[in-house]
Amino acid sequence: MKGVPLASSGEHQWCEEWSQRGGVRRNQRRLYRGLLFWLALVLSYFLSHAVPPSTVAQAQSQIFVNQASAQFVGPNGPATTVSNQTEVSTLTPPGPPPGPELPLLQITKTADRAAAEPGDVAIYRLLVTNLSTTQPATPLTITDQLPLGLLYVPNSVEATPQQPTQVVATDSSLTLTFASLGPGESVSVAYGVLLTPDAVRGNGRNIAQASAPGFTPVTAAYQMTIRPGILADCGTILGRVFVDKNFDGQQQPGEAGVPNAVIFMDDGNRILTDPDGLFSLANVLPGYRVGTLDLYSLPGYTLAPNLYRIEENSASRFVRLSPGGLGRMNFAVTPTFGEEQS
Amino acid sequence: MNQRWWIGYSVFALGLPAVGLAIAPALGQSALAAYSMRVTSGDDGPVQPDQGLTLREAIELANGTLAPEQLSEAEQALVQPLPAGQGSRIGFDLPVGQTTIALVDLLPEIVAPELVIDGTTQAGYDGSATYDPKFPAAPAVSLTVAEGREVARGLTIAADGVTVRGLSLYGFRTSDRATKTTPPSDIFVSALAPPVDSSPLSPALELFRLDQADLAPRGVVIEQNWLGLPPDGEFPAVPSAFGVTVFNAVETTIRNNRIQNHDGSAIITGFRADGLQVSENAIIGNGLAGMPDAIRLEGTIASSAITDNLICANDGSGIYLFKPEGATEISGNAIQYNGRRFERAAVYLMGSDHELSDNFIGYQPGPGVAVTAYPLSHRNQIRGNRYAELDGLAIDLNTQGNTEVQDFQKGDGPNPPRNSHHRRRETGNAAINAPQFDAYSFVSGAAEVTLTGTADPGSEIDLYRVAEPGFPYSPLTEPLGTVTASPEGTFSASLALPPGTRVSAIASDPEWGTSEPAAVAAVLAADGTQPDLPAIPVEPPSCNPPTPPPAPVDPPPPLEPLRLEIPRNIHFALDRSNISTESAGVLDQIAAALLEYPVLTVELHGHTDPRASVAYNLALSERRALAARDYLIRKGVPMERMRIVPFGEAQRRSEGSGRVEYARDRRVEFIFTDVRGLDIIFLNQEADLQLE
Repeated sequence: MKGVPLASSGEHQWCEEWSQRGGVRRNQRRLYRGLLFWLALVLSYFLSHAVPPSTVAQAQSQIFVNQASAQFVGPNGPATTVSNQTEVSTLTPPGPPPGPELPLLQITKTADRAAAEPGDVAIYRLLVTNLSTTQPATPLTITDQLPLGLLYVPNSVEATPQQPTQVVATDSSLTLTFASLGPGESVSVAYGVLLTPDAVRGNGRNIAQASAPGFTPVTAAYQMTIRPGILADCGTILGRVFVDKNFDGQQQPGEAGVPNAVIFMDDGNRILTDPDGLFSLANVLPGYRVGTLDLYSLPGYTLAPNLYRIEENSASRFVRLSPGGLGRMNFAVTPTFGEEQS
Repeated sequence: MNQRWWIGYSVFALGLPAVGLAIAPALGQSALAAYSMRVTSGDDGPVQPDQGLTLREAIELANGTLAPEQLSEAEQALVQPLPAGQGSRIGFDLPVGQTTIALVDLLPEIVAPELVIDGTTQAGYDGSATYDPKFPAAPAVSLTVAEGREVARGLTIAADGVTVRGLSLYGFRTSDRATKTTPPSDIFVSALAPPVDSSPLSPALELFRLDQADLAPRGVVIEQNWLGLPPDGEFPAVPSAFGVTVFNAVETTIRNNRIQNHDGSAIITGFRADGLQVSENAIIGNGLAGMPDAIRLEGTIASSAITDNLICANDGSGIYLFKPEGATEISGNAIQYNGRRFERAAVYLMGSDHELSDNFIGYQPGPGVAVTAYPLSHRNQIRGNRYAELDGLAIDLNTQGNTEVQDFQKGDGPNPPRNSHHRRRETGNAAINAPQFDAYSFVSGAAEVTLTGTADPGSEIDLYRVAEPGFPYSPLTEPLGTVTASPEGTFSASLALPPGTRVSAIASDPEWGTSEPAAVAAVLAADGTQPDLPAIPVEPPSCNPPTPPPAPVDPPPPLEPLRLEIPRNIHFALDRSNISTESAGVLDQIAAALLEYPVLTVELHGHTDPRASVAYNLALSERRALAARDYLIRKGVPMERMRIVPFGEAQRRSEGSGRVEYARDRRVEFIFTDVRGLDIIFLNQEADLQLE
């Protein structure tokens, strides 16, 4: 009847809420990043129009036709504005000093989504191009390092136009080998990854690398935002307060639990033990957690000495709570004397 | 891990000669040589051949860890062999004026069965100097701690049948250190007692076993001792921590002792105390700064009994049963003026099948008897007791699974009638209904009055006279008689009661236990009026030993308001709770007044200024009140006349926020009351104001 430990907690640590707040923050960051992008575009627009564009410049620029338009109700009724055109220079950035240049590969990585939750299957696409005009890449090796918690979906590799000669998949990486990639040719690879609950602990950053003998290896990264989804990484803390008779810090038969003892957590949460001296605290943020027994709540008792483990003579308990994990905080007490002498 | 095991084993092997000797007697396998010894030296220190036999040497001789040949000729003359089959005897023949044995270290654990340590053999002990077995004559031999030393336990008893008689033990406690210590006591009764702390010098822990019941010492007797106070009866300079700790022992007898002035409980049980007998002790003023309850029973206490004790002026409950296993019998005790610091029930019961009978329970700032709702506590028979001056019900059964802080201290007040069978599983004594009179008043007939009411079918109704005012509940003053409820649940009793009498009742059922009291009903005269009965005289609170039989008859004190020119407050420095010299002068005046007028009682209200947190200030105000009480106790004011009430910052003296206002706030107020119910005039003083 009373076997179920009551979680008598004044305020819970709402892990859920925190991570949602974190999500909001991330979204805001994305918004800022978008604004910056647009600012850059506008700047380049002004720059390109500030000086009369030369034909050379025009030849080395690319015009983007923007699709965006905006509608609003102005003083003269509804109006529609269309976006300007964007001109972006395609000049190659200044590279390393000229030397015995190796032929280049190019790798591009995308995915079918920018954010994912545990349980989702995301599809990554890789495009590898041999930029060399003469030299084939023989053989071509593509390695993809998956972040924590992402699993390659077996047999999901699809490559065009040619097929890999070898596919090696481990838990955290995928290695594809192609026989040869001719000059100017491209190969496109798509494969699926499954997001496990561990993914929320990873960074979601995925790095693909293409290499071939005689070519400079190239890498491409893709950052996917991992949201916790319906999963939380909050842990649980259990504990008990009891009268220790043999001073070993463990509760055995004949060692009664103390009701209504108060335990304070590091964040100020105040927890009461139930009539059996037990308490449990759900939804605790993972990490290092400290709890201490408020001796003022159990007049007549103080912490019992632990004759076996020096560590447990401390007035507080320190647990390392792993995400979704379980921590214990047991407090042994014994009748006291000489309390609170000034 | 393996390595640790081997270290433990080698420690065990090295200690084997001593340990083997220690264990064997407890198992009763080998007979120790028995001696009759006379302790002639009050010195303590290492065992060595010299002129006098010390208590340490005598105990080692009895334990068999010391041979008489290792002592000097003079000492050997004090040791007489006894025939086999007897236990050793330790008597005392200390020189006059040197009857205090000041220990410098723990005495060896007593492992000699049937050893008798008899302080009454000392010359100068007058066993006839007592008129009440609860207050034994002052011991001639005292056992305490040498100045500047720290000894956790007076006597540690681990053998069957050991008797400790006629000693005064006090001053045993420990100070704070790197780790806490196991509870120190005047007398610690346990098989293989736990070490005092976990220092590297403590014995190997492989031996500390609690589960082997046959190792627990059986039949230890502790009688005619003064525990916690020196032979002169003064408050000791260093109070003991606990009185008797029955940690792991069976059939221990504690009788005719005076147990007083402990920081913690007078008697506390630990893991096993089956068959404990506590009889005819005076247990006064304990729990001053620790476990507040006079007798605290934990662990297994099957067939234990607490009979005919005076339990008075302790800081918490008189008897508190904390989740024990087994039943106890509590009868014939006077449990009064307890709850000086915590407003707890005089007797708090957890567990089933306890019996409380023929006790006097009174003058308690809480209910008389509280029965917990959880863990399930059934069939507690609480009958034939008398109650007076309670702040709560005479019997309070916690209901509806109430397990809040207050419920474990004061109970939860009157219960509604049982309205579901589920109530039985979440109420003390299975929610047996209190009887209910059919009316709040009954008109008396010619000779008798007929009281009728309802109660649980088949239960026995004990009718009580109620002397104190108070409605609808008031303490049950004295039993009037018993009737049985009919199968329909009605009862009727005809009693010869004078008009004006007020009555109440409790119901008892062997299957469930005893109920809460009924609401009070009054007996009216035939004309329907309720005459006032003469008021009962109020006695001043007292825990004193009885006076000699030809007691001088005091003239009745004059019933007029006292005109006392006494101060009623003292002040403290910022964040301090020590008594300043000026405050000490004020307290001296208060102590003098209290000693002059035994009818005065006082509540010590601690207060602080409004800075710092509420919880901190509450603790600080309690420390201040305790410091003031401690001073008054040392001036000889009896503890039963003082109560501690901490207020924290809730009741300020002033309203401003200057240094002077805050200094006025930091105070202890003395609220005097005259137990005859008359007013007193008192003065505020500010001579000892301490600005920050």
